[in-house]
Amino acid sequence: MAILEVKDLKIYFPIKAGLLNRTVDHIKAVDGVSFQIEQGKTYGLVGESGSGKSTIGRGIIGLEKITSGKVYFNGVDITSKNGKEIRKNLQMIFQDPYSSLNPRKRILDIIAEPLRNFERLTKKEEIKRIEELLELVGLSKESMMKYPHQFSGGQRQRIGIARAIALKPKLIIADEPVSALDVSVQAQVLNFMQDIQKELGLTYLFISHDLGIVKHFCDEISIMYKGRYVEQGTKEEIFNHPQHIYTKRLLSAIPDMNPSNRDKQFRIRKKVQQEFDQRYHDYFDSEGLAYSLKPISETHLVALQEDVQKVR
Amino acid sequence: MTRVYGLSRDLDLWGDLMELGKKETQSQQNTENNPTGLKILWSELRRDKLALFSLILLIVIVVFVYGISFVMNQDEIAKVDLFSIHKPPSKEFILGTDYGGRDVFGQLIIGTRNSLSIGFLVTFLSGVIGVAFGLVAGYFGGHIDNILMRVLDFFQVLPFIMLVIVFVSIVPNYTIIAFSLIFTAFSWMGVARLIRSKALQEKELDYVQASKTLGTSHFKIIFREVMPNISSLIIVTMTLNLASNIGLESGLSFLGFGFPESTPSLGTLLSYATNPQTLEHRWWIWFPAAVMILVLMLAVRNVGEALRRATDARQRRG
Amino acid sequence: MWKFIVRRLVITFPQLILLSVLIFLLAQAMPGDALTGLVDPNIDPATIDEQREKLGLNKPWYEKYIEWVGGVFQGDLGQSFRYKIPVTDLIEERIVNTFWLSVATLIFTYMIAVPLGMISGRYNDTILDSSITGYTYIGFATPLFIFALVMLWIFGYHLQWFPTGGSVAPELKPGTLEYVLSRIQHLLLPALSIALIQTVSTVQYLRSEIVDTKQKDFIITARAKGASESRVYNRHILRNSLLPIAAFFGYEITTLITGTIFIEQIFSFPGMGQLFIESVLQRDFSVVNAVVLLFGAAAIVGALLSDIILSIVDPRIRIK
Repeated sequence: MAILEVKDLKIYFPIKAGLLNRTVDHIKAVDGVSFQIEQGKTYGLVGESGSGKSTIGRGIIGLEKITSGKVYFNGVDITSKNGKEIRKNLQMIFQDPYSSLNPRKRILDIIAEPLRNFERLTKKEEIKRIEELLELVGLSKESMMKYPHQFSGGQRQRIGIARAIALKPKLIIADEPVSALDVSVQAQVLNFMQDIQKELGLTYLFISHDLGIVKHFCDEISIMYKGRYVEQGTKEEIFNHPQHIYTKRLLSAIPDMNPSNRDKQFRIRKKVQQEFDQRYHDYFDSEGLAYSLKPISETHLVALQEDVQKVR
Repeated sequence: MTRVYGLSRDLDLWGDLMELGKKETQSQQNTENNPTGLKILWSELRRDKLALFSLILLIVIVVFVYGISFVMNQDEIAKVDLFSIHKPPSKEFILGTDYGGRDVFGQLIIGTRNSLSIGFLVTFLSGVIGVAFGLVAGYFGGHIDNILMRVLDFFQVLPFIMLVIVFVSIVPNYTIIAFSLIFTAFSWMGVARLIRSKALQEKELDYVQASKTLGTSHFKIIFREVMPNISSLIIVTMTLNLASNIGLESGLSFLGFGFPESTPSLGTLLSYATNPQTLEHRWWIWFPAAVMILVLMLAVRNVGEALRRATDARQRRG
Repeated sequence: MWKFIVRRLVITFPQLILLSVLIFLLAQAMPGDALTGLVDPNIDPATIDEQREKLGLNKPWYEKYIEWVGGVFQGDLGQSFRYKIPVTDLIEERIVNTFWLSVATLIFTYMIAVPLGMISGRYNDTILDSSITGYTYIGFATPLFIFALVMLWIFGYHLQWFPTGGSVAPELKPGTLEYVLSRIQHLLLPALSIALIQTVSTVQYLRSEIVDTKQKDFIITARAKGASESRVYNRHILRNSLLPIAAFFGYEITTLITGTIFIEQIFSFPGMGQLFIESVLQRDFSVVNAVVLLFGAAAIVGALLSDIILSIVDPRIRIK
């Protein structure tokens, strides 16, 4: 059974105007998204900024109000009510390690926050748990009495991860966990996240705009554009057999490390751009939004118009 | 816990020193958001000669006034002595006597003490209400904020002095506590507005969002997470408010609607000046009180302004 | 812009209603009612009760409230307990005095603020500017009543340049030139006392506004075109900075109300503020309520006017 199942999720933000501040229109941040994540896997959610990928993560964990649709966690409906048990099992890692740790609190109090909310531990037990957690994320236990500003960005993000795993959750929503970090530190944090995934049997919902990282990190990937899915599939399907023109364009934008391939890369990019311009209307409706998903294999779904499906 | 800290110090003294240096440079750039905010306030205050002087002066006045009034025989001062009415300053009475032959200097000390005490009390009470109101409005936002802000707008547009006077005059069993409560009821709005706008910004930060996902209650997030982060703003606002509250209280006492008759305040001494004879010929009764109010208000303001500069990195002098 | 104005009006009406309810409830909490001022204490209690029933004084509070509001709209503010005359008659003569005092104060306020603010902004960080800034700093910290007492002491009693009380010399007849001049003379010192304190916030605002504006691109452009320095200041900068200030007068009403209460008390000036204090002391509560209602409404309407004018002059305000 899937650990997380999202069905036709919609999150709209009202636009208020007029004399009585009535809602005149909506921004459709997330517009009918469905997916499921298997236990122990990493599910990548990719899209440009403003595509609604972060909103999905925030909606699942209860930071945004869900307009319609359903979210099931281990088969339990958690759409509107977030019971204690679910809170414990569902945690989040934030994008900005500088603002996600309260600057006025010691590391001890930061990591202990979830423990104090859910578990009745004695002072001694608490200290012991935090020592273990710090060790797990590779920080010395002396860090406990320090404040966030005494750490580097990578260290801070590891503190954020220690806090997220303190309750031994089953699913972690990682909202661009490395994009605020230096490139040199990114790999370090990502590898570390993979290590603890194995160790604790975690499931990740990994939100990112960086296809390179997603390729390295995720089992299943979905591509988002303007609040809708354009393509969903396994890592191989997305990277080796992209079907949607938007996915192709994104992939062609990944830089190649080998300079001798530069010309080849350039030609591919040009070709993709041409296709994008010519066939734009086959892939996007009159509002510039993606169509609904159509399965082309067991795991691979693409947003296509009914009749275009056969064109290829 | 302190043991752990001590250990780390011994093991890694050099590292700690490095950290300290880093802390210093970082805190230069960012006051609001780090634990050394209070230290910054203090160091800024120390750099500002006028503010430092004001602070020392204030401390001297407070210690002096509370100290003396403690050893002074208050019944002696309140005693009417018909043989020494309206005496100008002399060796016996440093600041002369009033219409009841009471020692003005003694009344000045007691009055300053009472004015300061009520100033502290009212500032504290209105601060508590204002901070709580502002935090709740700013943190929740949306409809709650909207409703609370309309309430605040209404309170703010009311003529403060008039309503306090009306309430003071109709309250049965009028006491200092009743006065403080009435005063507080109409003076919390400024703090609330400031705190609310700061809380609106603060709640968008990820650490607040993180606390929500960690299952921390709204109440705890508001008062344990957000409030410590805006503590320097709270301190600055309260300091500046203290100055204006001392002025307002003395004004109300001047009009006769402040302290009850039995407890003189600085305003009570000034109210003797509504008698033209006293105003024109007996300066020693009211003028020292006027100077005292002015000194207190300016000194508190100087300290408050220096603190405000310290929280606003662009205006910092150092 | 119209939207802003309508929305602002929508906020104002509940404020006025709330004010009236507040004052009405206060009136209920106060000792005495309409009969207290009318009846002879020798009449026996049963007759009074009958009379109360007939006058509708035993009705539930909301019915009484509606009647009271209806009366206010027809200009009926009740009877003074003490003077046994309609409150409106009592207020009429006082309100004229306070009105002129306020007008004089506002004129002085702007007469002081505009030149000081301009000098301070134009020559910022000079000695002249620091002394003006110093004045505003001290002015901010000085309570009005202390300043007014000192003014009265120095200019009224010691130098005797101004009369020390009243609104007009008693022996003069209305309509004569001397009468008018005497009234003006009586206004000067009280009005100046308020203005000198009240003006400091406007000076500060104007100063920072000018300091801000003079670094803006359109000013630099005007200079580059060869406009003379005084033309730059008078035509370009002032026009931008002066309008918002003119709009502040509505907010000043609240300050003025507070000011008149103290000032009229100190200068024994027979206006609304003095009437208010007298009535409170004499426990003439029907008059107290009327004064609070009028002043409260004036403050609410003043804030409304300023908001509307500012929204026209300065689009930035509308965003909030």
